[in-house]
Amino acid sequence: MRFSQPLASALLLAAAGVAQAASSWSFDDGSLSIAAKKGAEGVKEKLNAKSPLSKAVSLGSADTLKVALTAKDNGKGKRPHQAFVILKEQDSGLEAPFPLNTKENGKAVVQISQKEIPAPLLVSTKPLKASIVIGSFGSAQAYNGQVFDIEIKTDPNAPAPQYEKALRYGQKPEIYHIFRADPKSPPKVISLFFALAVIATVPALFIGWLTLGANLNHLTKAMGAAPLSHASFFGSIIAMEFVFFMYYTSWNLFQTLPVAGVVGAVTVLSGTKALGEVQSRRLAGER
Amino acid sequence: MRSLVSFVVLLFVAVVSAISTTGNRLLVVLEDVAEKEGYSKFLGDLEGRGFKLSIETPKSESLSLFHLGERAYDHVILFPTKGKGPNLTANLLLQFFGANGNILLTLSSGAATPSALVSLLTELDIQLPADRTGLVVDHFNYDSTSAPDTHDVLLLPAPGPLRSDIKDIFSAGAPANELIAFPHGVGAALGASELLSPILRAPSTAYSYNPKEQSEAVVDDLFATGEQLALISTFQARNSARFTLVGAAELFQDKWFDADVKKTGGKAVKTFNREFAKRVSGWTFQEIGVLRVNWIEHHLSEVGASNESNPKIYRIKNDVTYTISLSEWSWDTWNAFAVPKNDALQLEFSMLSPFHRLPLTHDAKQSNAEQAAYTSSFKLPDQHGIFNFKVNFKRPFLTNVEEKNTVSVRHMAHDEWPRSFVISGAWPWIAGIGATVTGWLAFCALWMYSGPVGGKKESKKTQ
Repeated sequence: MRFSQPLASALLLAAAGVAQAASSWSFDDGSLSIAAKKGAEGVKEKLNAKSPLSKAVSLGSADTLKVALTAKDNGKGKRPHQAFVILKEQDSGLEAPFPLNTKENGKAVVQISQKEIPAPLLVSTKPLKASIVIGSFGSAQAYNGQVFDIEIKTDPNAPAPQYEKALRYGQKPEIYHIFRADPKSPPKVISLFFALAVIATVPALFIGWLTLGANLNHLTKAMGAAPLSHASFFGSIIAMEFVFFMYYTSWNLFQTLPVAGVVGAVTVLSGTKALGEVQSRRLAGER
Repeated sequence: MRSLVSFVVLLFVAVVSAISTTGNRLLVVLEDVAEKEGYSKFLGDLEGRGFKLSIETPKSESLSLFHLGERAYDHVILFPTKGKGPNLTANLLLQFFGANGNILLTLSSGAATPSALVSLLTELDIQLPADRTGLVVDHFNYDSTSAPDTHDVLLLPAPGPLRSDIKDIFSAGAPANELIAFPHGVGAALGASELLSPILRAPSTAYSYNPKEQSEAVVDDLFATGEQLALISTFQARNSARFTLVGAAELFQDKWFDADVKKTGGKAVKTFNREFAKRVSGWTFQEIGVLRVNWIEHHLSEVGASNESNPKIYRIKNDVTYTISLSEWSWDTWNAFAVPKNDALQLEFSMLSPFHRLPLTHDAKQSNAEQAAYTSSFKLPDQHGIFNFKVNFKRPFLTNVEEKNTVSVRHMAHDEWPRSFVISGAWPWIAGIGATVTGWLAFCALWMYSGPVGGKKESKKTQ
């Protein structure tokens, strides 16, 4: 069998040639129709495997979209294993497949209504891209073509389809604490004006007293009668104010109290004597 | 001398742990021990990386995932078997997973998936096709050398990163002309859980069908198609234990490691399977994508304040600096962890809910080759209470980092407010006190030392 080998290889080549020539899947007689529920005549368009429809078709909430076609392997009607209409959301790339109901002769049909379209696609603001995929086992080249766009028109009276994005681990939005506003002061000019007005009362008071005849004429008399008591009594009143001043500026309560106690004791002890002397002057009719 | 000893110890530790961060005891479950010949390169690679392999069959009496209540192995690879036996029930595998054990599960469309595994996958929110058999085919991206008719050897480019903010650890540096062969595989549909993430998805024209019932045409009961079909999916639990489902066990076989594959109309190219298998198994067994927190430090960052580290108490509106140091384990070394582009490491300062959520920025001064420091300086909120410095960094394919440092934040002490003379609104009041004091002292002096004026008063008194 000398010839068998070349013969076999020739046969193989021929077979390979057939396989090469085979062929590709496509479809014919494609049609798209949208039927409204109440039997009203809807849109009807012809689908072409080569070029997509130029205008998007719109699918209302009660409408049914029907795609019918004949799948062909190299021009002959044949049943493919895979015949899907795939709707794709343009932004997220989410896809929803709708298998066509195929027959032996390649006739295939599918009906799609809004109920069957998943919520993430329904809420899309852009038209959905619909493509048809036809493929099967064997060497025939499968077909995948974008054939039309659908615009979803949801029922404005019905509640909008709910769709919540699934939780995914990732970066979260930043948060910056909003601080409470700082306490505010009035304009400094106003504060200063009223502070000066308050300070101005002191000279006003003194002038008032002086016009009424206030004097310190008995100072020498008092000092002569009870020098120690008067000095320490008046001194302790001044010292008490100094203690308060120190408390305001730097001392704490435990530094203040003992000093205030000592000063207060001095006031009480010297006060009896000093005020007694003042009383004696009053009794003597000198005040 | 001491540094030398510690260096030797360190070196020793480094050599011992030069593989996975969680251990090197690896259990391989095969239907028949002889099957390991088919996976010799894959298993050889694992051994070469330092794993100690124990090969068992599900029927083996001695097979046990636990010994005296502790894990007997650190990792498990399950190759397709007919049944899983009493030692590998879904419950035991979940317990193993819960005890930080990592599982690499492989399926094959040739063998019906045991029901124990189906229920394990259901626990993890992964669905397999009904009847436990499915076959993924794609009439567009198949290997025309080995499956010209059946189209069930899918050829896929390296998958790329899952999202733009996730590091590409499975296909980084993959040669552009190499393809992943996915032969005779099962596709799975993933639930909505955030713990699940797919490594490899099917191309958009692929679909899964039941070879027994849908041999003529796929009309209804379509399981899933396109990108919804996860060919290789992962589940990383909250304890950072890892589970990987590989739909095609044959992906790990020797014959697909060096095979030449060819798309229709394309050129014959090498498969990327060997490197890809290394990365998938390396990820599952915690050899890559493992994060470690080295140290955390926070302190007052105010001029003149003590810079004591990690004080227990702060005051409201203090300026504070927080720094965290992270390393990433990559095969055999700890490297400085670099936050992926488009992602951010965030610090939360929270009491019940976060008051601040701030990005942590890389601090080059405190970083080196082995660790990266991330820092943030901010003003504490004007709310006292018990707060946490919290770094909650959970990302797909990286182990979880959840660090909480609790501090008290006290309110202002009475002597920490501005003095009244600084507040301009208080000036009239201070002036009022001054005027009162002056007036009081003058009044005292006058009352005691003022002499009578003229005679009128005196005469009135005497009357």
